[in-house]
Amino acid sequence: MNLPLHPLHLKEGGHVVDFHGFALPVRFSSILEESAAVRERSGLFDISHMGHFEIRGSDVVQAVNRLISSDLERVPSNKALYGHILTEEGGVVDDIMAYRFGEERVDLIVNASNRDIDRKWIEDRLPSGVRLADHSDGHVGMALQGPMSPRVIGKILPSLVDMGRREARTLSWKGGQFLVSRTGYTGEDGWELFGPSSEGFTLYSEILESGKAAGILLPAGLGARDLLRLEAGYPLYGQELTLDVTPFDARLDFAVSRSKGAFVGKEAILDASGKPIRHEGHPALTGFFVEGRGIPRTDCPIENGSGAVVGKVTSGGYSPRVGGGFGLGFVDPAFDREFRSGVSGKVRIHGQALPISFRPWPFVTGGILRAASV
Amino acid sequence: MSPSRRYTKTHEWIAIEEGRMEGAVGITDFAQKEVTDVVFVELPKMGKKIPRGGEIAIIESVKAAFSIYAPAGGEVVAVNHSLDGDPGLLNRDPYGHGWICQIRVNDPSELESLMDDKTYEAFLADGGGVPGHG
Repeated sequence: MNLPLHPLHLKEGGHVVDFHGFALPVRFSSILEESAAVRERSGLFDISHMGHFEIRGSDVVQAVNRLISSDLERVPSNKALYGHILTEEGGVVDDIMAYRFGEERVDLIVNASNRDIDRKWIEDRLPSGVRLADHSDGHVGMALQGPMSPRVIGKILPSLVDMGRREARTLSWKGGQFLVSRTGYTGEDGWELFGPSSEGFTLYSEILESGKAAGILLPAGLGARDLLRLEAGYPLYGQELTLDVTPFDARLDFAVSRSKGAFVGKEAILDASGKPIRHEGHPALTGFFVEGRGIPRTDCPIENGSGAVVGKVTSGGYSPRVGGGFGLGFVDPAFDREFRSGVSGKVRIHGQALPISFRPWPFVTGGILRAASV
Repeated sequence: MSPSRRYTKTHEWIAIEEGRMEGAVGITDFAQKEVTDVVFVELPKMGKKIPRGGEIAIIESVKAAFSIYAPAGGEVVAVNHSLDGDPGLLNRDPYGHGWICQIRVNDPSELESLMDDKTYEAFLADGGGVPGHG
């Protein structure tokens, strides 16, 4: 399916690929060039494939809070919150961003691959009187990311520059209603904006032209987005998060509130005292660096020192900022414990087993990312 | 006179002088643009015997791994180790310093079925350029 910005991407020389049924640019110039631009200056991403739900009603905050793992009631109005939608068994249906506007409106941004599943899941569990409007079809979403984002956005939407980190607003621009937040998926400062297709098209074009003319912005594709989020250690649904793992398996403890009231999946992941429940047979997410020449990719086997397969790569890549091949993977928890203590493992790439060592994530620091505490 | 190149549908080239049996193998300019951001090249070992269409090298780019196939069957008689230190040569000079290896072909008649410059250009123009990989 072509999204509203598609003609602009072709004009910019975007190499378009299919992503969960959406035609999106994987790159314009090169993944390395675009990812460096986002770390050093700024980049503009098309994220129109993501789903946007606006949920309204008098009990909307409590209603949505029962469906997510983090605590919306403890978040002030006009603030974005990351969380997981869980099954009763504690598996992850999706990871989402929730934006609370007062007592009667909550917006959700959800993954492209889960748009329809999420909408049905949520609608089936909302009380009467709370209604979901799906803005996903035909809307435009964009993410402006990078240390120079304030300069870029300041030229077009100066009123947004004083927004705080994770602040969310609704914005009326040229007659279109936008959801705007100072958030992102790269580990850099920046903004994400969602609005109707026509005004969104104009806004994206104006940001792109203005930023390019100033020499501080490049259009960026899915390839750079994936590398940047992996450097930041952010999960991608379908890879680090699935129905078969809990947020704790994926080491996203911060996505779960241990003090909030009932929510779907709570009893499967937290015991009566609020401690995480470990599920027998569930893997643990680990981070690694490849000692040698090789780029790990999704599904490459991870082996222990004696060559037994103990897990597999969920996301892998190469980055000059990390200094080589690196990635995340689900492994046997016993292996993870020794791996973290310094025992090396192996990753099998094109039939060859290359040594790997544990690496905490985020894999890079700077921007909004601080070094991991292990 | 530099030897003329022959091309595969998978975007490799081989250049063999008239009457010789050895020639350099590389990837086309179109292919290097598709691959971009080459990080490592897994080169073949000297003396490796390879059938036509067999995997001769793997190019690891940031985006993905790309297999490079032998345009003709033969034996690897030289390897471009400058790609170990500077894999970007593949992007910067795909028909020159970015060559991958030399092979001594078993059967020069295999080259006849490969495309010449004009045919390859037409192949690209005709949409044959959309690679199955990447």
